[in-house]
Amino acid sequence: MLRILIKLIVQGVTDIRHHPWVQVLTLAAVTLVAFLAGLFLLVLHNLDQELKRSQGEIQFQVYWKPGAEMVSVQEQWRDLERLDGLKNLKTFTPEQGLEVLTASLGSGDEFAWLRGQSPLPATALMTFAVTGEDHHAWAKAIYLDLERMPEVEKVSFNPLQLDLARSWGHFSNRVIWPLILFLGLVLALVVGNTIKLAQVHRHQEVEILRLVGAARWYIQLPMLVTGAFLGLLGGTLALLMLKGVQLSLKDLLHFPPLWLRLDFLPVDQALIFLAIISGMGVVSSWVALREK
Amino acid sequence: MIHLRHVSHNFGSHWALKNFSLDLDKGGFLFLVGPSGAGKTTLLRILHGAIALQRGQAVVCGFDLQTIKPKAIPLLRREVSVVFQDFKILPQRTVFANVALALEVRNMPRPLLQRRVRAVLRGLDLESKAHVSCAELSGGEQQRVAVARAVVVGPQLLLADEPTGNLDRELAMRLMSLFLQFHAHGSTVILATHNQELLSCLPEAKIVHIEDGSIVWANWSLTE
Repeated sequence: MLRILIKLIVQGVTDIRHHPWVQVLTLAAVTLVAFLAGLFLLVLHNLDQELKRSQGEIQFQVYWKPGAEMVSVQEQWRDLERLDGLKNLKTFTPEQGLEVLTASLGSGDEFAWLRGQSPLPATALMTFAVTGEDHHAWAKAIYLDLERMPEVEKVSFNPLQLDLARSWGHFSNRVIWPLILFLGLVLALVVGNTIKLAQVHRHQEVEILRLVGAARWYIQLPMLVTGAFLGLLGGTLALLMLKGVQLSLKDLLHFPPLWLRLDFLPVDQALIFLAIISGMGVVSSWVALREK
Repeated sequence: MIHLRHVSHNFGSHWALKNFSLDLDKGGFLFLVGPSGAGKTTLLRILHGAIALQRGQAVVCGFDLQTIKPKAIPLLRREVSVVFQDFKILPQRTVFANVALALEVRNMPRPLLQRRVRAVLRGLDLESKAHVSCAELSGGEQQRVAVARAVVVGPQLLLADEPTGNLDRELAMRLMSLFLQFHAHGSTVILATHNQELLSCLPEAKIVHIEDGSIVWANWSLTE
């Protein structure tokens, strides 16, 4: 019995050769739909991660006066590291600021003549976790402390950021997850229908198998395996394409002040993605068989 | 082998078979003749379980079609082979693969399967075409593949529905001789046709003439 089951499972995979064009086109359609859905999921995932990161966070950017004594500024940076609630501190000397500016403008050696005499001020980008009940009072206190530091010319922060952080959090819970569920449904329906159409193409084979006395499971098992295999292969190809896109765009938004890095889908989400597509391959093949 | 009593079948308001009764013993050869739409195909479809029996009693190869469970229909079809006018073969597969299909569903060991298929293909003059795709065969060759698939399992009952309908006279007579060979080995054959010329190939065969779903004439006492 086991031998027959293995034979039928293998047959389900190798049956693809009997209608190569139909199967290749189906695979292409499944891959592209899964890729588009995966791309959307990737953006949503990164947006969600970013929102989660920024929820309850606030950033201050401190600018020292041009020409400020760097030894004194670096001492202040060390003091800043000890502040309560500080999650991240990025500091830039005038020279580092120039390097970042040159890199973000992609201007090559255009600013080479400024090396060693950068006109930019020393800056620090500080990310705090919001603490306390009165967020606005807390933010104002930090702002005033930073502004009072020696040789600081300007401190910038957007008070709206506090409200936005909280609002984004609500948005994430109420919109992003329902959107992901909706996306999953669309993906399942499109992939399911595509595979179902490819399986309907095999109606003649099913009719003949029934005619020669094949049992129901003998006919269905290879076709369900074909559906699952197409879904799995299409989903895997889509994930590989997504990985390529993620690698090529990973650092696209990784520049100040955004510092956004595009992450790939976590393993559990990638597995769920594959499971949905393969599962729809099985379900749609079963529906196609029932309709014959 | 076949026992039918008062079998009737309707498609909506149209009665395809009306009160049909007959008995056919093992090893018999029966011609079902009559015009198109007379009910020949409906009867053959009932006999191999393609459509459910609506009224009357029918026992085929020991299977009671009144009480047969859906799971048992594949078992009935392993005893009853069918040859159709439109061949019903898989054109993209080879001759060998098409014929072997009927044995594969019975899980026959591969060496035995290969021997059986080769022997049948040899008998039907198809051995040289064994690995040719069926799409490349002529109509007559495709019909022989369909016959090979039907006989390779050694069925108790062979049903043929207008098997010569798409063939010229010469090919039709060659095909008929194949059915006669099969019958000579002791198998029961029912052949539905409106080709009167085929009847002369086996004068001792039983003949039933059907019109509008009813038997209008037979050359023997239909029931025992």
